[in-house]
Amino acid sequence: MPAYHSVFNDDTSARQVGNTAILPISTKIRGPAPIAADPSQPDIIEESLDLFRANCLFRNFEIKGPADRLMIYLILFISECLTKLAPTPGKPSPSYQEATKVLQTLAVDHFALPGDAGFPLNSLYHAPASRVDADHLRSYLTQTRTELALRLCDRIYPQEQVLGTDGQPTGQLGPRASKPSKWWMSFQKRRFMGRSLGSA
Amino acid sequence: MRLFGQRFRRELAIFGMSLIRSFALIQPSGRAAKSPSTRLIQASDKREEKGSKMILLESHSVIINDVLTDRFEKPSRADIQFVDYDNVRFHLSTPSSKTQLLLSMSIQCWPDLVKYGARDHLQHEYAGYLLDEANTEPEYNVSLLIDLDKLPESPEAKLDLISSLAHLKSTAMSSPFISAFNEQSSLQASYKEPAGAQLADQAPAEAKGDLKIVKYREEEAIYIQASHDRVTVIFSTVFKEETDRVYGRVFLQEFVDARRLQSLQNAPQVRYSNREPPLEIRHLPGLKNGEDWGYVTFVLSPRHFANPAQALATINRIQLFRDYLHYHIKCSKAYMHSRMRYRVAEFLKVLNRAKPEVASEKKTASGRTFRTR
Amino acid sequence: MSRQAPLVIDNGTGYTKMGFAGNSEPSFVFPTVIATHQSNSAGSSNSAPTTGRAPPPIAGKPSHLASKRGIEDLDFFIGDEAVANSKTYSLHYPIRHGQIENWDHMERFWEQSIFKYLRAEPEDHYVLLTEPPLNPPENRENTAEIMFESFNVQGLYIAVQAVLALAASWTSSKVNERTLTGVVIDSGDGVTHTIPVAEGYVIGSSIKHIPIAGRDITYFVQQLLRDRGESQQIPPEDQLRVAEKIKEDYTYVCQDIVKEFKKYDADPYKYFARFSGEHSVTGRKYDLDVGYERFLAPEIFFNPEIYSSDFLTPLPEVVDTVIQTSPIDVRRGLYKNIVLSGGSTMFKDFGKRLQRDVKAIVDGRIAGSETRSGSHIKSTGVEVNVISHKRQRYAVWYGGSLMASTPEFFNVSHSRENYQEYGPSLVRRFSVFGSAS
Repeated sequence: MPAYHSVFNDDTSARQVGNTAILPISTKIRGPAPIAADPSQPDIIEESLDLFRANCLFRNFEIKGPADRLMIYLILFISECLTKLAPTPGKPSPSYQEATKVLQTLAVDHFALPGDAGFPLNSLYHAPASRVDADHLRSYLTQTRTELALRLCDRIYPQEQVLGTDGQPTGQLGPRASKPSKWWMSFQKRRFMGRSLGSA
Repeated sequence: MRLFGQRFRRELAIFGMSLIRSFALIQPSGRAAKSPSTRLIQASDKREEKGSKMILLESHSVIINDVLTDRFEKPSRADIQFVDYDNVRFHLSTPSSKTQLLLSMSIQCWPDLVKYGARDHLQHEYAGYLLDEANTEPEYNVSLLIDLDKLPESPEAKLDLISSLAHLKSTAMSSPFISAFNEQSSLQASYKEPAGAQLADQAPAEAKGDLKIVKYREEEAIYIQASHDRVTVIFSTVFKEETDRVYGRVFLQEFVDARRLQSLQNAPQVRYSNREPPLEIRHLPGLKNGEDWGYVTFVLSPRHFANPAQALATINRIQLFRDYLHYHIKCSKAYMHSRMRYRVAEFLKVLNRAKPEVASEKKTASGRTFRTR
Repeated sequence: MSRQAPLVIDNGTGYTKMGFAGNSEPSFVFPTVIATHQSNSAGSSNSAPTTGRAPPPIAGKPSHLASKRGIEDLDFFIGDEAVANSKTYSLHYPIRHGQIENWDHMERFWEQSIFKYLRAEPEDHYVLLTEPPLNPPENRENTAEIMFESFNVQGLYIAVQAVLALAASWTSSKVNERTLTGVVIDSGDGVTHTIPVAEGYVIGSSIKHIPIAGRDITYFVQQLLRDRGESQQIPPEDQLRVAEKIKEDYTYVCQDIVKEFKKYDADPYKYFARFSGEHSVTGRKYDLDVGYERFLAPEIFFNPEIYSSDFLTPLPEVVDTVIQTSPIDVRRGLYKNIVLSGGSTMFKDFGKRLQRDVKAIVDGRIAGSETRSGSHIKSTGVEVNVISHKRQRYAVWYGGSLMASTPEFFNVSHSRENYQEYGPSLVRRFSVFGSAS
């Protein structure tokens, strides 16, 4: 049972830029992304978040379709986000609000596209065919990155369940955790496929 | 004996000494007989460890010790069969519930031991644990029932109990010795009045206790006899292997010689006879004599069992004598083997060096070659 | 005289298991290590790499001092006591990769095992020893020499560990036919072997070794703890021990990692655990959380990639390869009887997962060939069974105990008389027994 693949590989209807899929996402962020037909179904962002911890452990990955390429990109972006949130000497991990801001900035910051010199996986990704395509991909990825950063923050600052008097969870949700969950942060050092988007 | 050479005799002498020394060690302790016997066993074991480490065998069963230590902490099911030297079989089980530990022992010389009061002795040592004959596990001679819910409270008392149970075999085997020691003291008491020492030598027969025979192995036996000033213990032992016999003989002779050392004067007197049984038991029917047989006589004087502590230490050592002997024969063989392997490895090195030299043409500075004509 | 119970001694690379036949558990389990006293003979070229065996402990001294030699060769400890004395003594591991490398140490190791621990007079007993698959006949001869000539044992049987592990699986309720055909997955501390056995004979050419076993799982747990920063709680000298404890007490094999992650997210209170430890020296208490390592640790058998960078083949694939390289007429029997043995196969649901994964590989292959044949040929399917049982941890020893307690054992063992008649080459011949036929 090797690493996990995207379920969207079979979806041939999606547009491709280079050989990366442009998959629909459900988001409130404005941008060129196609809107998911059914918001209750997990989209590629949700999938990447789900598979992140498992796939992170793997060093080898066989790309089976354009959706995998998008997923790899997003997983690497999650790694990058976690690195941003990691405490450094003299600077503890940010709170939920700060983290959201930090990651928003990171999401819209300049980043390398396939074909650019700073892109880590150029051997696997085709560069966009034209300038127009490149711009389209950039704005699509910016939008996706922003949405992903939001959802990631929700995940790694979980709302603690309120414990009852007997020490058992009551099912009520309390305030958000004040620092990122160590269960996520522990994956920060792991490099999916041994790569990172370190250029940013 | 040229086969083994001087060096080897030396090894054996040291082995021999170590045992004798262990007997000598018993001497200086003038400890009063206040504490229960288990403590004494522990005390003597400790000294043993310090004195000569792994050279001696321990007198308790490691398995009983380990299993009980474990079960006293956390009761759980058990059904373990194991052995001890000299055809002793143990069975440790929990027949009814997890907290009811049944420890049974079968010992080959049980009929002999019973004759010399083993049951009473065990009853005394394991009061409250020993089951009567009707309840003894079938195929076994002795059964002890330990209720894990009714253990002593303090950790020390628990340790004492474990240690005493682990000595079950040696306790059972000690009864003939103890009765011989008692006999000796009563003989000594009654002896003083009628005659002087001179006379005793002339008429030793009157002052002797019963000859106790413990057939502790298939063919081998311990003979114990008390007299007014000593207790004689004779081991008969058989060597199944030719090599063992030779080792054994050297070993035993060295054993006798070792005692001549100044430092070991306190150790019991030891005599060794090959083939011929010693005088004390020569009258017995059915004694084997032949190349394979050896008889070792220990003469224990009253100072070796002056108080219960010493008596116990003496008994624990002496009853392991045969096992000790055979253990060391095996160790000596292992040692010889390791020397042999070492030699072989050395010879191989020499052989490997002795490669035929490849004749290479040697040239002079001008490039010409020498030719032999 | 009733016959004394045979001694069953399983000397493994890491641990030695010994006890008496007929019991369900070995009486002693301790490291196969011997601590010898390195008295001032430090120059005795202990490494001797060419022969691979150290000279006897006193060989370094000049021979004219022979008379001064004492009893250094008796000054040694084995097992746990050896480890306890490692400060003043030097430790040696006489067995490497399953095979005895240092016969001097091994002989003394046996010496003390039998006399000090088992307290048995070897002359009164039969002995069952174990050997790894593909043990050279010379090694068996050496073993026989020591057993018969040093210890004068009554009889000796040297059994192949994998075969004993198969025999041990007969206790499982899943087994209804006593067969000596099957694949043994033996995973101890150092290495995992996959050994196919056909009717009691090991198929040597198909054996595969996997460099992932108990120790690696412990390291992996340690690594995960470190990644999460839990190790700050643990005193450095206890780290390995804590990781081992977590491995033993908390881990299990999951069916799917992603689903397992989700379970932890959905119900953290049910899955995350808390480990409380105590500093081994100062007694200071500490706590740490136990999380994903619970299922990730044993996962390295099924996805070695997440731990190792040079060995990448998952265990189910190895098992399949082993069977596929075996003779075609035994393959069905091998798939039907995959037997687990050793401590590192004790993870909960290990067998279930292995069975599922092997089955998936087999079914995939069958489906493939069916399509290729144009759906003309239909397969009846291949039965895949992974046998897990209660005695798995010491399966080899237990199988030995089981076999040595049958009356047949005394007939197939090499007796002392025969040894004297034929010499050590006797043990080159080896008779399988215990099969129902």
